[in-house]
Amino acid sequence: MRGLRGRLRILAGIAIFVAIASAVLNPQAAWNAIQLPLYAVFSTTRMVLAYLLSLVFAITYGATAATNKRAAVIMLPILDVLQSIPILGFFPAALVFFVVTFQGSPVGIELAVVFLIFTSMAWNMAFGVYESLTTIPVDLEAAAASFGLRGMLRFRLLALPAAIPKLVYNSILSWSNGWFFLVASETFTAFGGTYTRPGLGSFITNAGLAGDTTGIALGIGVLAAVVLALDTFVWRPLGVWSERFRMETTGHEVPRAPSPYERFRWLPRFPRLRRTFWATVQPAVTRYRRASLRLDRTYSAHPKVVRDIRYLDLAMFVVILLLVVVAGVVGLARLFLSTLPPAAAELPRAAASSFVRLALAYAIALAWTIPLAAWIGRSPRGSRYLTPVLEVAASLPATALLPIIVGFAILVTASLGPAAEVSAVLIALFSMQWYLLFNLIAGVRAIPEDLNEAARSFGLRGKAYWRRVLLPGMVPSLITGSITAWGAGWNALIVSEYIPFLNPPPHVSGLGYLLDVATFNKPFPDNAMILLTILMMIVIVLAMNKLLWRPLYKRASVKYRVEV
Amino acid sequence: MEPPLLEVKEVRKSYFENGKEFKVLDLIRFELAERDFVCVVGPSGCGKSTLLRIIVGLEPPTSGQVLFEGSPIRADNPQVAMVFQSFALFPWLTVTQNVELGLEAQGIPPEARHPRAHKFIDAVGLTGFENAFPRELSGGMKQRVGLARALAIEPLLLCMDEPFSSLDPLTAQNLRDEILQLWANPDLPPKAVLMVTHSIEEAVYLADRVIVLSSRPGRMVAELEIDLPRPRNRKEPEFYGWIDEIYSLIV
Repeated sequence: MRGLRGRLRILAGIAIFVAIASAVLNPQAAWNAIQLPLYAVFSTTRMVLAYLLSLVFAITYGATAATNKRAAVIMLPILDVLQSIPILGFFPAALVFFVVTFQGSPVGIELAVVFLIFTSMAWNMAFGVYESLTTIPVDLEAAAASFGLRGMLRFRLLALPAAIPKLVYNSILSWSNGWFFLVASETFTAFGGTYTRPGLGSFITNAGLAGDTTGIALGIGVLAAVVLALDTFVWRPLGVWSERFRMETTGHEVPRAPSPYERFRWLPRFPRLRRTFWATVQPAVTRYRRASLRLDRTYSAHPKVVRDIRYLDLAMFVVILLLVVVAGVVGLARLFLSTLPPAAAELPRAAASSFVRLALAYAIALAWTIPLAAWIGRSPRGSRYLTPVLEVAASLPATALLPIIVGFAILVTASLGPAAEVSAVLIALFSMQWYLLFNLIAGVRAIPEDLNEAARSFGLRGKAYWRRVLLPGMVPSLITGSITAWGAGWNALIVSEYIPFLNPPPHVSGLGYLLDVATFNKPFPDNAMILLTILMMIVIVLAMNKLLWRPLYKRASVKYRVEV
Repeated sequence: MEPPLLEVKEVRKSYFENGKEFKVLDLIRFELAERDFVCVVGPSGCGKSTLLRIIVGLEPPTSGQVLFEGSPIRADNPQVAMVFQSFALFPWLTVTQNVELGLEAQGIPPEARHPRAHKFIDAVGLTGFENAFPRELSGGMKQRVGLARALAIEPLLLCMDEPFSSLDPLTAQNLRDEILQLWANPDLPPKAVLMVTHSIEEAVYLADRVIVLSSRPGRMVAELEIDLPRPRNRKEPEFYGWIDEIYSLIV
């Protein structure tokens, strides 16, 4: 662990060195990039705001769904849909809303950016909270109930700690998702103008626009440095700390995790101030706790009050369910009963070509990730040298690599039309491949050592070993990785099928392109088409999840699960 | 006349699945007075853990009633404490914090609950481990924490759900003797103990009354007064006599 972090630091050092070197070689570009640190601060602030918002949302939403069975009936499917649909598709709609609400002021655009990042972070965190709260061991719940924990005290001592491991784990995923969306959203063209908010993402995009290679390199270098620094100083320590909150299985002894605060010893902690604060607050807390205890006892002594509350709860549930269903039905009816826009005829073809592109990217990703994962997963040396490199590569959001990928595509094909095709596939590939790779590596590592030894002792080698041990061991993680990879792929469509920073903007036919056209339609965005395109994507994604991945996963988890 | 400490009145429990009824417990009735040590034994799956959950108010019975000092039981009743087979310690709280759990919920301020927690940590022999986390403790020590946590709220009735089943035999025997000592000490809680176990030998060793349940649905087969003098000797023929009798009732 420590060695890995050391190497990560070396890599970050190399990135910074490259940045300095290019600054020396090209001082003019470096001068333009002098604001980069400030931009990094802006971008990180947006990420932090969106993350805090997601945290609050995830805890409230997840806890409500977990404690209120009736609410969960509505809340879970909504979350499921939100999690598996291409969120970027909603960005144009959200953008229109925020920009119109704030009449084009920068505040509106900032809010739109933060909102978009929020939508890429919040859902899986909320699911994490829900899952951990519903899997609290029965006995622990019973202990909490029988010792009278309730309200805030129960939340502080039971629910929140129980949710921490999953919450931290999902936060790390959410955070890297967030970068992808940040880069995609800091600059965009709409209503005949280009909106740019200062930040790393817009810097890289603009450098790409101007063909400024040094700028691109510097921007990506700084982005990589920020991503790595946050990973090393925030997420990894948090991950170690969260181990403390893991439920242990009885009798299994776990070594004590190092104190999470050690890294932050240098922070001032104001022990005296804190003690005075608690001393002042404590009597009030005690009084509140006793009063609520008394209140609870008196009201629960009257069965009528309890019953009335239950009826009220039921009534609220019915009203909300009706509202959701009616709103959905009315919206769909309005969309389909009015005459469909002429562009709607293109939808099936566009969907098919987008799908083919993603399938191609998926196939390429599989072709290189499976052998590499098999090697890294089994070779300590490969893992030691390659993992840090791959982690750095994966930490760069595909959206930030857009200028490089497009440039590469033009270089290879030497003409705009085919270049657009190639870059669309490449961007999809870059958004999909890492999910596959890291899931597969984890899958290979999860193959128990004694299974490997048994295979070796029976002389299973080469093809037979792959067929009998390695591939079956990879199957479950391949499916989980595929679900996430395809989700990322659909998201990437919106940025990959239409490249606004070339003149004339090249495009390929596909859902992402249709969405872009509808959004940037002059003078007004074509709302019907935006909705129809998003609906099309949702239907495809949900259909794939329900008809392909879920059944596959179910079968795989029965057949290929390794019992420990 | 003063009501008994605990009254279990005609308790039945059924689960319903797809409209079909699965009876778990049928017509359980017994009473518990102060100074009682009662064990409920039965084969696995006879619903004895469910019975205990109903008795402490964690689950409602399908029909019937559980009265504690004459009024219906509530899960958070501070006069009743529970010890779990899986220990049910909060992994993120220290020993002291775990023991203080019930006191904190009752709104007792820190300066009052620290000494009480220490008293019971001491009573179960865990002095020196106040700031340890559960994962750093052995199984036996974990169960001592569970015991201290239950005793700290100074309950009248201590309920234990197979408290020694996940411990090794030697540790389990030590803890059994300590429970007996605590129970015999009039200065320390609890006044009465109700324990669920699948081990007939354990029940005969500890209890002065044994309630025998049949397998699914759990029905009361017998209620036996174990009149052996304490400390009991497992080698005596009378001890074996009781075991054989209960064994024949279950099978």
